[in-house]
Amino acid sequence: MRATLGVLGIAIGVGGSAIGIALLLRGVLQGNVAALRNGRTCVFVVLAGAVLSVIAMEWALITHDFTIKYVAENNARATPLLFTITGLWAALEGSILLWALFLAGYLAFVAHRFRRRIEDPMVGWALIVGLGVALFFFVFMAVAANPFTLMPGLAPLDGRGPNPLLQNHPLMAFHPPMLYLGYVGFTVPFSFAVAALITGRFGEAWLEDTRRTTLIAWGFLTLGIVLGAWWSYEVLGWGGYWGWDPVENASLLPWLTATAFIHSVMVQERRGMLRVWNLSLVIATFALTILGTFLTRSGVITSVHAFSLSTIGPWLLSFLLVIMIGGVALIAWRADRLHAPGRIDSPISREAAVLGNNLLFAGLAFVVLLGTVFPLLAEAIRGSTLSVGEPYFNRMGAPLGLLLLFLMAIAPALPWRATSGEVLQNRLLGPASVGTAFMVLTLVAWTRDWTTVVGFGLAAFALSAIARETFVAVRSRRRADRCGWLRAYARTIGGNPRRYGGLVVHSGVVAIAVALCAGGSFGTKQEVRLAKGGRAAVGGYEVQYVGSHINRGDQKNSVSVDVRVSRDGEVLGTYAPAISTFRNANTGIGTPSVRTGLLEDVYLTLIRSPDDRGRVTVGVSIQSMTLWIWVGGILMGLGTIVALVPRVKRRIEIRGVPAPGDEPEPEPVEIVGAPA
Amino acid sequence: MKHPFRWVALAVGVAVLLFSIVLAVNVSTDPRAELNTSRLLGKPAPEVALARLDGTPVTSADLVGKTVIVNFWNSWCVPCDDELPVLRRWYGAHRTDPDVVMLGIPRDDTPENIRDAAATDVVTWTVANNRGARDATLSFATRGQPETFAIAPDGTIVASFLGPVSTAVLDKMLRIGRRSL
Amino acid sequence: MSEAARRSRRIAWVVLGLVVLGTLAGSLWPSGETESVTVRTRRLASQLRCVDCEGLSVADSSTASAHDQRRDIGQRIRDGQSDAHILQVYVDRFGESTLLNPAGRGVGLIVWGLPIAVLILGIVGLGFALRRWQREPRLIPTEADVALVERARAEPRDG
Repeated sequence: MRATLGVLGIAIGVGGSAIGIALLLRGVLQGNVAALRNGRTCVFVVLAGAVLSVIAMEWALITHDFTIKYVAENNARATPLLFTITGLWAALEGSILLWALFLAGYLAFVAHRFRRRIEDPMVGWALIVGLGVALFFFVFMAVAANPFTLMPGLAPLDGRGPNPLLQNHPLMAFHPPMLYLGYVGFTVPFSFAVAALITGRFGEAWLEDTRRTTLIAWGFLTLGIVLGAWWSYEVLGWGGYWGWDPVENASLLPWLTATAFIHSVMVQERRGMLRVWNLSLVIATFALTILGTFLTRSGVITSVHAFSLSTIGPWLLSFLLVIMIGGVALIAWRADRLHAPGRIDSPISREAAVLGNNLLFAGLAFVVLLGTVFPLLAEAIRGSTLSVGEPYFNRMGAPLGLLLLFLMAIAPALPWRATSGEVLQNRLLGPASVGTAFMVLTLVAWTRDWTTVVGFGLAAFALSAIARETFVAVRSRRRADRCGWLRAYARTIGGNPRRYGGLVVHSGVVAIAVALCAGGSFGTKQEVRLAKGGRAAVGGYEVQYVGSHINRGDQKNSVSVDVRVSRDGEVLGTYAPAISTFRNANTGIGTPSVRTGLLEDVYLTLIRSPDDRGRVTVGVSIQSMTLWIWVGGILMGLGTIVALVPRVKRRIEIRGVPAPGDEPEPEPVEIVGAPA
Repeated sequence: MKHPFRWVALAVGVAVLLFSIVLAVNVSTDPRAELNTSRLLGKPAPEVALARLDGTPVTSADLVGKTVIVNFWNSWCVPCDDELPVLRRWYGAHRTDPDVVMLGIPRDDTPENIRDAAATDVVTWTVANNRGARDATLSFATRGQPETFAIAPDGTIVASFLGPVSTAVLDKMLRIGRRSL
Repeated sequence: MSEAARRSRRIAWVVLGLVVLGTLAGSLWPSGETESVTVRTRRLASQLRCVDCEGLSVADSSTASAHDQRRDIGQRIRDGQSDAHILQVYVDRFGESTLLNPAGRGVGLIVWGLPIAVLILGIVGLGFALRRWQREPRLIPTEADVALVERARAEPRDG
């Protein structure tokens, strides 16, 4: 029954997208408005099909319908409700279903938003491309990765339950959906980019049409990545949040190209330049989301997250090939019409800084891509594999990251088009002094590690530059409007939410950069074996083993030990790292316990539960500034939301004749001129 | 083909194709296949200084001139449990053979667990989980459990197998070991 | 701005530059103090892949084998073996894929060299483009361009 409903939903999805594509094609090619309207309706049919399938799956999960293979493999009667619901994305088939749901949702959003412009071939083609992607995923589900496959033979009495790592922390409920909302969202700019290439209208219109969706997708991807890091910190128990695992890299790759795009788009909007580059970035971002799915889901790369299911490999690879070759061919076909008329007037300008930013982001993406697939290349070239791990990515990534921090510090102070070195010197002298002071302070007081010295200095530089930009703008707004600081601040942001939202995102990036530098050079890690009542000193803290508990449950049995953490004789609290044994796994899964602090975390893991002499082995790791990663993530999310707020149009304009939709607001006069 | 973008596009297209071919080739190969062969094949077996559960020492000197099957295992590992009946049967058939020695070395376990497992399951070929066992685990470059090695009478490692062995594999290991005599 | 203010600002920048260079030199200058066994063990262990956990280094993993390897590395350091020798021992045992930092020779040259080459190419290309734009006279919009802009502006769009 539930399986039938689910399959029906998938069939509706396949049919809806196929018919929609046919109708829209007919409408676009023959100018048939009725066909276009009906084609648009098909998008909502596809959404209905996806919703139906997801409801069927959730229903099956909640009612423990073990006749369905997916449910039997990813759910058990003892699985708590939360992890029963999240079972939808606990394995490949369900994840694809979630993917299809989000995709249909985004397409429906596009179809709704452009309902009055359905006769515009740009919208028609974009919907065709989007439905094409949806068609692929629905057919893929129907044929190769069907989540509603029935159990051969009799249904088991109980299911296997989700992978223990996926039922150990509530963050699992949020991390994958956020990530998928990000991944899938890039289908929209991709569809419009392809539509722009097909219709030959690759001016700035498609950028404007997709600006918000791109930003939303980017925001979700950012949150998804940060939540993933948080999950890995809270669950995996090795004390880190980022291990350069292929799956992590797969989520970082589209983020890097999308970030490059979000910046370079501004140059195209203002100057009409970088058309080919922006189209390529959008196509690359979308292709990278598919590549990531392929790499991590087809079993070509071994990884903690990867499932081995090689039957799906050829499907995803063929789709990837169609996207990449298709994208390249479309750009090549339109090459002669894509040449941009604009030019960059000065190397000391915002445009030039954005170009530098794009070079660095593209470089980073290249490093991460190469490092991720290099074991495969090495195997193809010489027949034996190699590993590329954390030290490689750190060594190659650190200089690029530091250069990006530097650009982040100076770029917001750079005006568009051109400026004199003089103006720049004036604006940056204060921030640069702060940065230099921090560099010296870091070297003298904290560490000799050059990346941290430079990183802290640049972070201070960037943060004070952001503060200065905001302060100057607010002050001039306050003078002009004769109002209070708070109102002036709100008006400044309201007047250009994109710029000030961007600056908030930047301050989040600074927080993360500081945390990464600090995490790399401070902190200690030690394993201590303690008898009951025993103490050990680690990195200025004292840990004492005070007792242990055994909790038996239907889902898992866990042993937890109480560890009292104190510093300078003051007790900071008692923490209980645990090892849980799940019914469906033979090795214990550790659950770390973390004492979060502003500057230092005490990260406790239980390595060996009490032995026959009652001794436990506890891993004690002092982590530096990890909190700031999550703070940075929150700031980046908030900044994205601010940037999405529509601009408040102000009546007082001293300028000439701004066209009604003229996007960029001129910066306040006070910023451009040198302060007296 | 006169526009520069087309040349760039062509280059990118070729790169994409090559990349896809590499990926496609890799789809059909098992990424773990290479990991399954030990680097120590053909090299002299590392020195060992082990102790049987009753306390009698086992050193490299005791193994000279014999074909040695070394099995790394853990009491908690399910594949190890799966291969236990095979090992037990095979050991039963060869325990009286003076030219064959079988050693079970705990890889990642507690001494208590090993003692309990040996007591209940009669894993009589196993050795104590002491410092010597830890050293052997490292010097044999084990990569998981269970993992089985064969040492020829001249002291070189002639075969290795990662994962639960079958009787056929053990027989083959013994044949290879004897042939190299 | 007066000439004096301008000069003092320029001096401030020069001083800042010198301080930055000095600090950088200070952090890069070899410190002379010898690395402790613990620190050196951790540094070496973080370059080796843990054999029975995927994606973690020997330094980060808490499995028994990683623990044994850390102990072994520490022992070898105390025995006076060099970093290269210790890494080589592990390569001999587990194969080249045990190094998380691929060796900078043979195929490994690609993974280190290619990104740097691409980046240099990008910087040079960007430099050339900027220079060309600087030399070329500013483009003056033709009547066709102006008409195009007007048409684009007149197009309806959803904000």
